[in-house]
Amino acid sequence: MTERVDRRNFLRGLGSAIGAALAADNFDRLAAVPEQALAAYEAALAQADEANAEDLDTIERMRRELVRALQKPPSERRWVMVIDLRKCIGCHACTIACVAENKLPPGVVYRPVLDEEFGTYPNVTRRFTPRPCMQCDNPPCTPVCPVTATYKNEEGVVVVDYDQCIGCRACLTACPYGARTSDFGLTYTEEMPVAEGLIAGRTTTETYERAANFEYSQPHPRVERTSPIGNARKCHFCLHRVKVGELPACVTTCIGRATMFGDANDPDSLVAEMVNKPNVMRLKEELGTEPRVYYLV
Amino acid sequence: MNDKPEILMPENCGLSRRDFLKMSAAAGGAAAFLGMLPQFSQIMAAEEGASAYPLVDPANQIYTVCLQCNTGCGIKVKLLDGIAAKIDGNPYSPMTMYPHIDYSTPIAEAGTIEGAICPKGQAGLQSVYDPYRLVSVLKRKPGTKRGENQWVTISFEQAIDEVVNGGDLFGEGPVPGLKESYVLTDAKLAKEMAAAVKAIQAEKDKDKKLALVEEFKTTFADQLDMMIDPDHPDLGPKNNQFVFAWGRLKDARKDIIARFLGAYGTNNAHGHTTVCQGSLYFTGKAMSEQYTDGSWTGGVKFYWQGDVGNSEFALFVGASPFEGNYGPPLRTPRITSASVNKGMKYAVVDPRLSKTAAKAWKWLPAKPGTEGALALALIRWVIDNERFDRLYLSAANKAAADAAAEPTWTEATWLVKLDEEGKPGKFLRASEIGLREKEERPLSTNPEKTYEFDYFVALVNGEPVPVDPYATDAAMAVRGDLFVDNVKLGDFTVKSGLQIIADSAREHTLEKWAEICGLDVRDIEAVAFEFTNHGKKAVADIHRGVSQHTNGFYNVYAWYTLNALIGNYDHAGGLIKASTYRFDGSKKGQPYDIKQANGTMAPFGTSIIRHNEKYEKHTLFLRDGYPAKRNWYPLSSDIYQEIVPSIGDAYPYPVKALMLYMGSPVYSLPAGNTNIPILADPQKLPLFIAIDAFIGETSMYADYIFPDTMYLERWEFHGSHPSVPFKIQPVRNPAIAPLVPEVTVFGQNTPMSLEAVLMGIAEKMGLPGFGPGGFGEYGDYIHPDDLYIKLVANLAFGEKEDGSDSVPDADDEEMRIFLEARRHLPKSVFDAERWQAIAGDLWPKVVYVLNRGGRFQNFEKGYKERVFPEPSSSYFGIDATQAANPFGTMINIYQEKTYDTKSAMTGEHLVGYAKYFPGPFAVTGELLTDEADGFDLRLITYREMMQTKSRTSSNYWLLALLPENFVLMNVDDANARGLNDGDMVKIVSPSNPDGQWDLMNGNYKPMIGKIKTTQGMRPGVIAFSLGFGHWSYGGVDFTINDTKIAGDTRRVRGIHANAAMRVDPYLKNTTLVDPVGGSAVFYDTFVKLEKV
Repeated sequence: MTERVDRRNFLRGLGSAIGAALAADNFDRLAAVPEQALAAYEAALAQADEANAEDLDTIERMRRELVRALQKPPSERRWVMVIDLRKCIGCHACTIACVAENKLPPGVVYRPVLDEEFGTYPNVTRRFTPRPCMQCDNPPCTPVCPVTATYKNEEGVVVVDYDQCIGCRACLTACPYGARTSDFGLTYTEEMPVAEGLIAGRTTTETYERAANFEYSQPHPRVERTSPIGNARKCHFCLHRVKVGELPACVTTCIGRATMFGDANDPDSLVAEMVNKPNVMRLKEELGTEPRVYYLV
Repeated sequence: MNDKPEILMPENCGLSRRDFLKMSAAAGGAAAFLGMLPQFSQIMAAEEGASAYPLVDPANQIYTVCLQCNTGCGIKVKLLDGIAAKIDGNPYSPMTMYPHIDYSTPIAEAGTIEGAICPKGQAGLQSVYDPYRLVSVLKRKPGTKRGENQWVTISFEQAIDEVVNGGDLFGEGPVPGLKESYVLTDAKLAKEMAAAVKAIQAEKDKDKKLALVEEFKTTFADQLDMMIDPDHPDLGPKNNQFVFAWGRLKDARKDIIARFLGAYGTNNAHGHTTVCQGSLYFTGKAMSEQYTDGSWTGGVKFYWQGDVGNSEFALFVGASPFEGNYGPPLRTPRITSASVNKGMKYAVVDPRLSKTAAKAWKWLPAKPGTEGALALALIRWVIDNERFDRLYLSAANKAAADAAAEPTWTEATWLVKLDEEGKPGKFLRASEIGLREKEERPLSTNPEKTYEFDYFVALVNGEPVPVDPYATDAAMAVRGDLFVDNVKLGDFTVKSGLQIIADSAREHTLEKWAEICGLDVRDIEAVAFEFTNHGKKAVADIHRGVSQHTNGFYNVYAWYTLNALIGNYDHAGGLIKASTYRFDGSKKGQPYDIKQANGTMAPFGTSIIRHNEKYEKHTLFLRDGYPAKRNWYPLSSDIYQEIVPSIGDAYPYPVKALMLYMGSPVYSLPAGNTNIPILADPQKLPLFIAIDAFIGETSMYADYIFPDTMYLERWEFHGSHPSVPFKIQPVRNPAIAPLVPEVTVFGQNTPMSLEAVLMGIAEKMGLPGFGPGGFGEYGDYIHPDDLYIKLVANLAFGEKEDGSDSVPDADDEEMRIFLEARRHLPKSVFDAERWQAIAGDLWPKVVYVLNRGGRFQNFEKGYKERVFPEPSSSYFGIDATQAANPFGTMINIYQEKTYDTKSAMTGEHLVGYAKYFPGPFAVTGELLTDEADGFDLRLITYREMMQTKSRTSSNYWLLALLPENFVLMNVDDANARGLNDGDMVKIVSPSNPDGQWDLMNGNYKPMIGKIKTTQGMRPGVIAFSLGFGHWSYGGVDFTINDTKIAGDTRRVRGIHANAAMRVDPYLKNTTLVDPVGGSAVFYDTFVKLEKV
């Protein structure tokens, strides 16, 4: 274990030099909204209140609510996720969308989905349970960080400062939900043949995997010894998308419409309606972690 | 650790041992990756303050269409410096949003709006950026045998030359090139010969028929060497000895292939329909035949699906819309919203507890192959309890249907003549009982000419009344008596259509039907009650679990008949059909009539799969009699499992060359192993050309593999599916620069691809319809865009002659985004000037369509309100929301044409109504005894959401979810055999006692899989999921130019047990088949497991 931490420190030393050249230091700065995205943003704002929510796909309703919430100061937003297990069909689109969005390598997962079978033939059923980070209001993972690289941000999302993280994995152990994994710098294509001119080969095809992700609103191309390689990684409610008026990747691709996201402080929002249903529950409530992820059962 | 998913399960969120080992290895070589900084991030590094999240910029998005399965969900490809970085749903497409956004939404506003797609769609990057993609033409290395996987690269030009001209290409003696079979090139002569052949086939008298053959030989004495067999001119010209077959083919590419094969003059262009859900399509075709100009014709190869978002009750049979069946992103939100928010109930008939069944009100694990029996049980209950829609069924023609506000009607009341044994035959005609004389009517195709129309007959209050099916005059409306049983009319004994169905359903008691299905009769009754308790808002939705049996055609027929009893066709919540915008220029006013401009030969003669033709009319029947050497398929087409085995048997004639496009019959067909010895044998198949992006399980046997572009790099018009009520036409268009190199054809640079191959051959052979002036008055066909942009222009123009349903012009902002989003594409793919020149004045409309990835009807246009004049019974209300794009005509619940068709095996008439045929049986009709012979488990397949049949084993993200499949079996079955979770077993069957694939190259792939026990499986049935257990496709080592390239073993894990599937005992080299609907049979094999 000591060796590994050492390696992590070693990698970080190299990585930070490259990282500094790549992006601004203040990872938590507000994203600059691209000019073209502003059009969508403004259009959504204009539409936010006009349409009957019943006539919209819930994805579109939530997007408009999201834009509305972004008008408020960050500290007044309460991002929550609600997962309706009756609508979850265990397709794993969310798992893969998250992997693609955040360029997660082998060994790293933010949003697994459990598939369990209950009963005896012929009275059998299956339950599918997506498990993102719970974004606890009382997170066990943050106090154990020796370098305060992980903390709850202004909007209540538990984030990781990749520049500070030393990859010690204390937070992985502390999380009762198994929501954190470590990035060891692997890629899915790394052992592929190159065979230039004979087949497309690794060199040509690994580009998509090495292209930047935009976690925490900064580009992180997948370069050896550069964050997030060597860091603890976790679901962050796709804050980089949220900031530009786009829902988290797992939400927009939920084909069962089981996953809902929004500002629970907005009484007109879908999530505010859902978190007050009688059939709502949270995982491991007894631990007092106060998750911000709710399940409808 | 290998039996666990690699990363994506919670219990395995930490570091697996394997990952740890890999990490240790990576630590040493990590420095090698430095300097591989993608270009974009270099720019980002240089430009401080650049957009923090460029993927939401509409100028970094291209809207196109997924092809990770055949659903064709609209997608948007998000680009980062020309690299596809992320794929999400296109919100203009009804596949990904419910409801989808308005088509007029400016593209600039859609940057942050995205719809939902499935995990395969999300992983599509890995199909495109697959290291094992081919980038050169591969030729089988001379001196090696087919399947040895040793290749040499040759230039595109040389490859085209070799496949056209042939020669001693492999040191095995002369190989015929495509030129050799291109003998009949005179369109006028072809037309004359085709007419003479038609006359031969029309002649019923044997001697006269033979005389006509002799006459043919005299008339065309100088051209007889052009014929395959002068003694059987109905086989057609030698041009037919070139066969083109495809797996996944969509429109636009289909148009270039049709043009190419039309120019070549071969009748052998065959798709793969029967391996998917063949009998769904061909029962649909039989049910949609219309009585036109005096005969049953015009049946459409199509099927219906449930409009389940509006259903109050749905019964999914052999279908799992959460995992497949066109398609989960479209159907899932409709079902989950309806069931959770609106209290919709649904039941699932499936031996396996699918993800759909897991959420169902009732799971009915019926015995596989008894789907038709269950439908007839329900039909019996509905009829016995009079829970059918009396008004709907009594409408005997269009006028009566109109009066009932119904878009469709049936022959429920039409009278059918019985033979001496009481078997139903043809419909009674009014002239036969002196009820009404025949009428001279103008032909629909040529109003100058006439035909004799003979009225059909129904009883109205016991009195015979003439029926004109399509009469619209209210005075001609006929509401007939539903049940007419053995009534004598003139010389005839008749029954009504519905009576025949009732008799078929009453073949057994409900209890007996339940026993046949292995279900509890109370469950059947409960389902029947629900099915008839929601008016038109109930539906039985079926898919390949119903069709892929030896009795598939009649299973499908029974379920569609059940739906007809409640008259749910074209109703919201009932059965609907697909609707697509026409784009081929066949609509008046459309600028480019692609088909008219074709100007090539009309191929003629018997196809190698003997489809759309009656055996008893053929001269081969005179030679061979019954049973035919192989089955004939007058009611179906695209019979995939027939192509290669027919080549192997040289029946009805030998084949010189096979070109296979994006298909893998060896992998995808049941008993696909039977194809291998034929494909591997140059004596049986002298030239085998594949167009494939990979060395696949079938293309590994090819002489040449031409690389192709992948779905993010090319054009296709994806069409729609029956689950979509809206009229749509998704357009797949290039989103990234192709990974394949450019080649030059007709002086133009174009990516090496299907198009390049066909155009290159056309150029070399001088085929008409290609090259300068290839489109006649519409100009040249020298670049693939010359066709595709024309098609988009037609689509943008719309279907109205005056252009009133054209799409709007792209404004300046739309144009800017369009151009900017394509700034990374090479000129060979995207050239704004070239595109604009082809599109002409319609260019801004073309841009408008492409900006949205196709054309999509708005949500509210998918339905319309109608008011029923009266509730037809207490169960059927007056709420009549109907499909705005209806089927809208007669539905054959009794099929005269099917009855009038004879089995090529027995010479007996087929049955023209829904009936249960116990199976499984051989093509001859003989029942199989495998179960009694000790093969104690029935093998079925299913599909996990995270794999498509044959083409996603390269998607490592998906493999991380499920690295391999397993042999799924009930816990009790496992216990009884001493098997436990994780045990390895070999699957053996009557036709594959060794339980292995013989690859005919010295290698064998045993069918060994890992047991997974479950409570969610009917005892006696085992299953494996499709998509795993490959043995090529980048999974094994191969050699190119004497360089060995290592395969990636992640791609070949798991089991693919298709080779265990039962070979037909009569055909001997082909899977079991549905002899009527043509389905390749997946679910009728009995096997044994051997622990290894």
